[in-house]
Amino acid sequence: MAEGFDIDHLAKLARLSLTAEEKALYSSQLNQILGHFQALADADLPATIDDARVVNEAALRSDEPGPVLGAEAVTRIAPASRDGQISVPRVVDDES
Amino acid sequence: MSTPLSDWEVVIGLEVHVQLHTRAKVFASSPWGFGKEPNEQVDPVVLGLPGTLPVVNREAVEKSILFGLVVGASVPEHCSWDRKNYFYPDNPKNYQLTQKDFPVVVGGQVEIELPGASRNVMGEHKFIRIHHAHLEEDVGKLSHAGSGSLVDYNRAGVPLLEIVTEPDLRSSAEAEAFLRSLVAMLTQAGVADCDMEKGQLRCDCNVSVRRRGVEKLGTRTETKNLNSISSVRDTVIYETARQIRELEAGRSITQETRGWNAELARGYVLRDKEDAHDYRYFPDPDIPTLKISRETVTRLSKLVPENLYDRQRRYVEKLGLPYTAAALLVNDRALAEWFELAVAAHPTNPSGIANLVANDLLRDLAASSGSAGAFDESASTPVSLASCPIKPAQLAGLVKLTDDGVISKQQAKEVFAEMFKSGQDAAAIVDAKGLRQNSDTGELEKIVQEVIADPAVAKSIAEYRAGNEKAINALKGPIMKRTQGKANPVLIDQLLRKFLG
Repeated sequence: MAEGFDIDHLAKLARLSLTAEEKALYSSQLNQILGHFQALADADLPATIDDARVVNEAALRSDEPGPVLGAEAVTRIAPASRDGQISVPRVVDDES
Repeated sequence: MSTPLSDWEVVIGLEVHVQLHTRAKVFASSPWGFGKEPNEQVDPVVLGLPGTLPVVNREAVEKSILFGLVVGASVPEHCSWDRKNYFYPDNPKNYQLTQKDFPVVVGGQVEIELPGASRNVMGEHKFIRIHHAHLEEDVGKLSHAGSGSLVDYNRAGVPLLEIVTEPDLRSSAEAEAFLRSLVAMLTQAGVADCDMEKGQLRCDCNVSVRRRGVEKLGTRTETKNLNSISSVRDTVIYETARQIRELEAGRSITQETRGWNAELARGYVLRDKEDAHDYRYFPDPDIPTLKISRETVTRLSKLVPENLYDRQRRYVEKLGLPYTAAALLVNDRALAEWFELAVAAHPTNPSGIANLVANDLLRDLAASSGSAGAFDESASTPVSLASCPIKPAQLAGLVKLTDDGVISKQQAKEVFAEMFKSGQDAAAIVDAKGLRQNSDTGELEKIVQEVIADPAVAKSIAEYRAGNEKAINALKGPIMKRTQGKANPVLIDQLLRKFLG
């Protein structure tokens, strides 16, 4: 089957530096794994929701505010903190 | 410059993140609110500490369903939550709980109104389709200081409804109109407050351009985290111009994620597709799939307020209001309902009531609350009518006194000012100030006859009798003067015609 992925891109996302031999090996193994999933995807199954995992609205929480930990407790469990905030190495990627 | 070059068409889709109006967070009982000290609104569930389990807040689910009903979406039988995995310190769990495959709202549409040719002319209406909306948790806030970053998790876990449109918007003006309409619908249904200054509504904006007549969509860029309607408008204008410039120069558009610097009014690249995250979505094992009962949907459907533009059409077509007054009133549900109570008390002159509400009442309310700009039509914050000293029936009473000719329109303004000050009924003020126009025919007949007998007006009388209708007005001044302005103008006119006829 044709490869549904780009091994260089995957290696980059995984922060892996691969040799040509490794790329060939992992590409072949990934293809096998994807082949298994393709077999599952091809199986003729009804698109139903697993009833065993369904709850009704009684399982929801009421909108009642409860206790909080407090900034002191929150920052105490962090490796580093400053001014009531958790201190981390500088990150710039603007996620969210 | 919303369309820089007419042979290009811009295609816009929005993802609008709205913090829902709840007291507790979406999967935890921690309270939330704006302006608290950092990390004071955090509990073990928010942090994802070992042994904790998320439980979905009913109110957040119901507010989401209510939004779906407001936009005419279908409410699915089931919805479920998934983990979106990523490593960034704004999220303490290393994943965000969101809905990927079975969101709580599917479909729907939002009616928008574009600006008209002038202020008092209604613009074009259009429907923007909603693809879906999903209920997820907001993330914490990072601030970057020197060599490190500081994390505040107060915002983490706040219920966030992400509303995703179809790529139906075709200009910055349409994007702006959509957001205004959406904000009105969300606030009028009590789903969300949408206070943009508090970050309660944030927007991701997808923009692409294509040659007019071409069906295939161009490569799009996504500008993230826009926190005001003007930023969305400016981003669309900027991104449209940039993409057209690139394409006309023979370059191609890179599919990329961008940021927007509102101060510099320019966009910048955050990351390109090559760096796209692989979020490894999978169903959250801690939160079971939720079955949404039809009873709940029926109950919530009763909370759906009248659609903004249905109300506007009703005011113009059924009540005969001018467009400007109707548009102003419907923008604020509380104000519109106040107006309708007044109309119920005096149904024969809705325009007269609307005029007093839209001009005098709003002006005085704004002045007394010290928020002069609150009624700028661009403002989304509703007026506070709670502290209004005048009740709807009292305003109706004032309009009725004017309509019955008891006081003049000019006097009505004076009475209104007094009502706003004292909260008294119009009739009481009219009596106390002796403003009641004189409708005592006997006394007025005498004055009219005296005035007619005055040689000073003989010329006007002759002119009137010769067929000059307007000449009769010259006699009204002296009569008004003698009665100190209290005479009923309608009655004066009748009496003059009777005696001169």
